Amino acid sequence: MKRVVISLLGLMLFAGLTATASEAGKLLIWADDSRAPILVEVAKDFTAVYGVEAIVQEVSFGDIKSQLATAGPAGEGPDILLGPHDWLGELILNGLLEPIVLTPAQVEEFDPVAVDAFSWGNLLYGVPYATENVALIRNTDLVPEVPATFEELLTIAKGLTDLEAGKYGFLIQQPDPYHTFALYSAGGGYIFGEDEDGVLNPCDIGLDNEGSIAGATILDQMVKDGIEIAGAGYGEVVGAFSAGNLAMMIGGPWTLADVKAGGINYAVSAIPPIGGNAPGVFVGVQGFMVSAFSENKVLANLLIKDFLISSDVMLGLYIQGDRPPAYLPALGFLAGNPDIQGFAAAAATAIPMPKIPEMTSVWNAWSDALELIVNQEQDPTTAMQDAANEIRALLGCD
Amino acid sequence: MGPPDGRPLYPYMIWRYVAKHTAKIILLGTLVGASIYVSVFLLTKGMYIPAVMPLIGSGFISYIFLSQKRYPLRWLVPGVIFLTVMVVYPIGYTFVSSFTNVGTGHMLSKEQTIRQLLDRCYVPDAAVVYSYVAFANDDGNLALLLESESATILYVDGNAEELSLPDARLIDEDGDGEIDRYEDYARLSFMQLAQRVSEIEDFRIEYGGTTISLVNLHEFRTRSPLYAYDEEAETMTDQQTGVAYTAVDGIFTSESGEEIYPGYKVWTGLSNYLDLLRNPAVSRPFGKVFLWTIVFATLTLLLNFALGLATAVLLNDPFLRFRTLYRVLMIIPYALPAFVTILIWRGLLNTGFGTINQVLVSLFGAGARVPWLSNPWLAKLSVLLVNLWLGYPYMMIISLGALQSIPSTLYEAARVDGASWWQRFSRITLPLLLIPLGPLLVGSFAFNFNNFTLIWLLTEGRPPMLGTLTPAGETDILISYTYRLAFEGQRGNQLGLAAAVAVVIFIIIATISAINFRMTGALEELSKNV
Repeated sequence: MKRVVISLLGLMLFAGLTATASEAGKLLIWADDSRAPILVEVAKDFTAVYGVEAIVQEVSFGDIKSQLATAGPAGEGPDILLGPHDWLGELILNGLLEPIVLTPAQVEEFDPVAVDAFSWGNLLYGVPYATENVALIRNTDLVPEVPATFEELLTIAKGLTDLEAGKYGFLIQQPDPYHTFALYSAGGGYIFGEDEDGVLNPCDIGLDNEGSIAGATILDQMVKDGIEIAGAGYGEVVGAFSAGNLAMMIGGPWTLADVKAGGINYAVSAIPPIGGNAPGVFVGVQGFMVSAFSENKVLANLLIKDFLISSDVMLGLYIQGDRPPAYLPALGFLAGNPDIQGFAAAAATAIPMPKIPEMTSVWNAWSDALELIVNQEQDPTTAMQDAANEIRALLGCD
Repeated sequence: MGPPDGRPLYPYMIWRYVAKHTAKIILLGTLVGASIYVSVFLLTKGMYIPAVMPLIGSGFISYIFLSQKRYPLRWLVPGVIFLTVMVVYPIGYTFVSSFTNVGTGHMLSKEQTIRQLLDRCYVPDAAVVYSYVAFANDDGNLALLLESESATILYVDGNAEELSLPDARLIDEDGDGEIDRYEDYARLSFMQLAQRVSEIEDFRIEYGGTTISLVNLHEFRTRSPLYAYDEEAETMTDQQTGVAYTAVDGIFTSESGEEIYPGYKVWTGLSNYLDLLRNPAVSRPFGKVFLWTIVFATLTLLLNFALGLATAVLLNDPFLRFRTLYRVLMIIPYALPAFVTILIWRGLLNTGFGTINQVLVSLFGAGARVPWLSNPWLAKLSVLLVNLWLGYPYMMIISLGALQSIPSTLYEAARVDGASWWQRFSRITLPLLLIPLGPLLVGSFAFNFNNFTLIWLLTEGRPPMLGTLTPAGETDILISYTYRLAFEGQRGNQLGLAAAVAVVIFIIIATISAINFRMTGALEELSKNV
């Protein structure tokens, strides 16, 4: 019986693959479950105008990148896919993306940071639709005023923390370099340095420079003061905040749905200056890309340029994920929205998230270092030096 | 084939014979037909080796079912086929991949890479823009009429021809100044054009020493190929700069070290295996991870079997009341999906927010937090305990079954001889249980040796090991370490290296299993003397 079931499943998989391959004269779009419904509507409009079938296939967010690598070259992949800009390096190195040509007038309609994020060399590989970065999110019932400095923030946090009652003042999810980067960047910490031409140099690693170690030391002190707690992952932090047990957190637009559902009065603002310096945060950009193995490149470009680049679609996508649109006309409609203003204030000193494939080793070595600091297994200086040396060794920079 | 001699041939026998064979031929015919369809499909995708497999398979099945001599084989064949498809093929694929550099930057085949690079264009200085109209005849063949400021080109059947207007073959039927047909080719409407534009984008029109290709729905443009490929020398030459790129380790590289992406897969011989030995970043944590894997799999087996057997012996006691209720309750951890329960355990054991620590804190104050998953030793203990909770019901079930098969006369005889409870257990129960359970225990060991789900969902291999040069954690077992190496190493994926580790793991497990089976074989010898 088991064999029958397995072989039936195999056949279904096979049938499923053949039914949804990219084929000439039929567009296939890969998007995750939250964004697929909006694209289905766009696809219908496209079919009505051009008489060309456009199918939106739901692929879970974590699978899009890896499945494209195998499905694309086998002729089974999509024409259009949706994803963040930091996939770019790996996808381009694997020969999976096709450049997109926009007119200068079209480019001007987008946030320059977002266009920059989707550029590789002098070519554009994706049309951005949303920018995302972290900011300080606080419970306005517990912390009515934005702390003027990070030091003040920590003092307030310490006063609000009561571990025995399950009350927390301020948490940064750990081990998570992306959310912790503000501590590092304020003092001059960076991941990869740039050469004179503005090209990233993967061997100039700044994770053990003075600023980075200062940032790691702040985190270490937060743990010693009982503010930061081991085991505070995404679920724990957002859960505690949404339940009213956490006063302040560093979080992105994606947390807002839970926070709103918890009925919390909240406000979004820039992370206050650390040691007098405004901290930088990473900006991630989401966008539409065209597969290099698409057999419908002209149609795919047509769908993106004439149908997806519109305020209606961009605002629809905003409602799905609370991510500020990268399309300026759509962003204009939201100018009065306090959440958007808060994230924009935090992004004033933002740094685009590096998109070179070397980042995989950085994220892992760095989060290992953060975990060792939070667990108090290693002092911050040694942890960061070990992490930086690990990355240098992995990238062959010695 | 008639009935055996001496028995009358009734008509129903003939009918049954005919029906049976017709059914057989129809079924085999369907199978062969389907496999030919699948093969042709795979061939069109360029997958030559997978394409041959269904043909060989269906041919083999037909032979076995049609030949009288091979009758007994038909009971074995389905199993053998599934074994080949689901076990042998993946092992072979992994083995082959371990000798290549497949991974980020080297995902495509050489042909695909070259095709993609040759398709790259640049816009030359004297680029000409053409507007166009498309026509199609009744057979669906396309004809294009391209118009630039200086020339009009007709493109039919792969040939470009310059026209001097007016041309008699171009017909304006309604006199509105727009051409409606070319000979018997009718002009495509807007929607028809959109439906066929994907064919038009593949056209490379050679005209006057330039290449013209489609850039958007409405325009063609002259574009020059960016690279020229010399097959003999394996070099790509950039037509704009004149720089030559030579193929080095599956990527075209210039003399100054500049690389053109994408690269492609190449054979790298034993270099992945040598990397495991030579590269300290990989080999240093390997030994430590290997040791923990053995300890983890062994302790899991011993603990789970001990607890499972103990509960089984208890539940086997006929004087115990509510036996069925206990059995149901104890099987629950096994019945619930591990994907869910492991994540629940992860939440319970969370250092700062887990329920277990919250209870401890409310009892003994804030200092009573136990770093269940963040201290290296406690994390290992947690992994073992959670796996015990997950795994002992299985051991209990198989022990319960095996206990039933031990004849009660043996126990009666032992009692008469005055054997104690412990003597009866250690001299009768345990040896007799190990005979049927031996293979299952070996299987359980091999399963836990590769228990990726547990490690990945509970700890992700964390907490991190100190002072390693590759991402490795204290609770990483070989398979999760391989995963990290493959997907979290250097730059993107290193599938070739991970395949090499997978092959090493395969050899280790195969060896351990072989030794174990030998030992259970020896146990069987022993049982003959009981």
